[in-house]
Amino acid sequence: MNMPVPGAPAPEIVTQESLLLGAAERIARIRDGRIAMHIHLSLLRPQNRQEGHIRIALRMLEPMVNAYRGQMFLLGNSDIVFMLKEPNPVDVENMVFKLRALFSKDPLTYADSGDGRDHFSTMYDLETHYEGFLDLARQTVADAKKRLKAKSAGGKEMQNLDSKTLGAVLERLAAIDITRLIRRQTAIVITGQGNAVSLFQEFYVAMAELQKALAPDINLLGNRWLFQHLSQTLDLRMLDSLRAMKLTERPSTFSLNFNLATAATKSFADFEAGEAPGTQISLELSVLDILADSRGYQALRPQLRERGIGVIIDNLNALTLRLMDIRQFDADLYKISWSMEMREAEFGNAAAAALMSVPTEKLLLARCDSEDGIAWGLNQGITRFQGRHVDAMLAAYTMHHCDKAAACTLAQCIARHGVVAGPLRLECGNHAMLDSAPVMRAPKPKKRQEGL
Amino acid sequence: MAFGPVDRATLERQKMIAQRLPTGENLLLEYLHKLERHRRGRRAVLIRLSLLQAVNRREHHVRIAAGTFEPLVKQLKGQVFTLSNCDIVFVFKETALEDVEAGVVRLRFMFSDDPVLAGAAGGEAGTFADWFLLERDYQSLLHYAQRMATEERLRRTQDLAQEAVEKAVSRPVRRGEPLTPLMLGKMEDALVRADLANMMRRQAVCAIVGHAPPQAVFHELFISIADLRETLLPNVNLASSPWLFQQLTETLDRRVLSLLNKHDDRTVAGDVSINLNVQTLLSSEFLTFDDNIKASMRGTIVLELQKVDIFADLGAYMFARDFAHDRGYRICIDGVNIESAPFVDRERLGIDLVKLVWDPLMVAGKLPNGASLEEYINRTGPSRTILCRCDTQEAIDCGQAMGVTLFQGRHVEGLIAAELRRQKGVFRRRR
Repeated sequence: MNMPVPGAPAPEIVTQESLLLGAAERIARIRDGRIAMHIHLSLLRPQNRQEGHIRIALRMLEPMVNAYRGQMFLLGNSDIVFMLKEPNPVDVENMVFKLRALFSKDPLTYADSGDGRDHFSTMYDLETHYEGFLDLARQTVADAKKRLKAKSAGGKEMQNLDSKTLGAVLERLAAIDITRLIRRQTAIVITGQGNAVSLFQEFYVAMAELQKALAPDINLLGNRWLFQHLSQTLDLRMLDSLRAMKLTERPSTFSLNFNLATAATKSFADFEAGEAPGTQISLELSVLDILADSRGYQALRPQLRERGIGVIIDNLNALTLRLMDIRQFDADLYKISWSMEMREAEFGNAAAAALMSVPTEKLLLARCDSEDGIAWGLNQGITRFQGRHVDAMLAAYTMHHCDKAAACTLAQCIARHGVVAGPLRLECGNHAMLDSAPVMRAPKPKKRQEGL
Repeated sequence: MAFGPVDRATLERQKMIAQRLPTGENLLLEYLHKLERHRRGRRAVLIRLSLLQAVNRREHHVRIAAGTFEPLVKQLKGQVFTLSNCDIVFVFKETALEDVEAGVVRLRFMFSDDPVLAGAAGGEAGTFADWFLLERDYQSLLHYAQRMATEERLRRTQDLAQEAVEKAVSRPVRRGEPLTPLMLGKMEDALVRADLANMMRRQAVCAIVGHAPPQAVFHELFISIADLRETLLPNVNLASSPWLFQQLTETLDRRVLSLLNKHDDRTVAGDVSINLNVQTLLSSEFLTFDDNIKASMRGTIVLELQKVDIFADLGAYMFARDFAHDRGYRICIDGVNIESAPFVDRERLGIDLVKLVWDPLMVAGKLPNGASLEEYINRTGPSRTILCRCDTQEAIDCGQAMGVTLFQGRHVEGLIAAELRRQKGVFRRRR
């Protein structure tokens, strides 16, 4: 390798993309019987195209590429491109089918694109469509350069939480006041009369803010188990903050995103004892947490019922509904996360069918960021909702009735509803309305259609 | 150390200690005192496991070794004593001599790779097992027992003193200290260097039908957490922080995989199961492992995934499952107990096998939600359910009554050992 000369233009970096372009150019005169395939893994949802997924996809393709004396390239955006010499078309078809099946829970593989094109893979017959393939190769090189530039401008990458950094993070967590990181969100229930009434307020810690305050350069969610460990301490800190929280009136409902283990602590018992009689406290538990200590859950469940503490199973989705019988949790409420996939007939109908076995008054559709979710839920007979769209409804209603509303925007009102302390809250001129739970008009729920 | 006549004070002290904690030494001593007038027709054998290398005399080795004589104990033909230095003393009636000899042969075989036995082609064979004819050698056995009891007491006193010192100076690491992130980090570092091959264990998953002897279906390869703890962090209570422990197992799984990748012997010659995390299944270590396995072998390899890991990210699980199935592996969900069973629907999860942890509560036949356990097993598929951690015959009886045919655990190991003994006996008679 040549020594870099100061001031000289940066040497051309060899990337998979540049190798692809080189290969595409070399092949120009020997195109007979060759094909190329572009697998658009970059279009998958981020959670479906992690390192492991891509590694497995490459592994699946390897034998075929070797068998047909081909070449394979993994692009920086996770797309895979490979070229084959005189392959058996059935083999190629089968392999792409297999690969597609592996990613079958991602909308990319089943969603109807509307234009009749397959967005998962594109095949190039190099005899007839060589130019198109060459364009593709050139395009990937240009994209890679852009990515590289963006990356070097973006600074260093965050490190994942590990056991060595966890200790320091925990120490820092013990030292900071997390009250300003606490967020609240109202869940509503739509009554038969078409009124939307506050069901409860959920209190939780804003992860992005926590990240900034605790360890800006460490990805706290980068290690699931270590984060779970961290969250146990976080729960206790949050209980301290909730007790000290100053609102115009004490909330009559608390829905708390806690670990199962927290429910058995003295801190939680103290919190419970400190609230006014009649205050409705609910725990939002994750499936993971319950499965990790089912014995603890089965023992705690009757105790909580006796103490009048509600049990909510958080973060259920179409997949959870498909793979398990959620009724076994014997919870008071099941929070189903709305996602755009549920609009797709295949996904949505399956989810709706799975929900049929649960009484609608035990269902809440969460993460309704747009009206779509609420519309879908109402169609299933669901009347309990939570999400950014609900926040907006609530803020709009507040502004309609608030005498100080002229000075504010809807976005400001939404943001101020979401916090319990700090400058955002101080900007609001009507704390009484901010902390109150109004009754709003809402679309009427539909009766559930049996026998879906 | 010289041995005078047993004085009163010593006896008193021994008695007092025996009352406090009946150690093997004290039990042996007491038993020998009782036998003083019944020496006739009795023999004893001393198996000096203490001479073996440390890796060969871990708890389970000693347990299995002592278990060799268990059937004779049940037939009231003798008494077995395990001493704290791992030596085993078996005192027996002369009529059982042949069985005992056979047992000692088996033990020699079991530890034959240990230097003590490997080099001993007859001449030194006496050191591993010492025989006593009580009518003649009573005193020497008694002296041995007294010496052992004294040494044990001394050790105990030292331990207590040591413990007191530790308490006094309040060292950061004490017995039962909870696992902290810092320790976890050290342990993870140590795992990179530690020789895990020594800690690798195999346990059979067996088909047991009726009273027929167990038939091994496959063997689980795993790292003994107890040994690991002993070696790396003897004073830490790993159960104190379940999530940190989970992180540790993930690191461990990965290490096991690279260990298996290094082995070119036939450790993974099929009919085995290994523990894996979903993330590990998608790792390059696993792909290397997969490369080293003959395609025809994959169908006989079971990948065990922890229930927590599966439910932590169902999407990732589905992906990993489909990949593993495509390669021909079978998947087993591990760690399902009576409390979590209602959440684990084998068919919906698309999993091949379910490992149900034995719990004496199962005798009542109900799950915590009131549903019938038998029905659950029927739905799971009796031939796809493995009742694991079976420590007693009760577990097997209870499992069989509900249709389960696959079992794993210490008691199953005992049954296999018993069957081996029986076969050997038959073989010898035929000869």
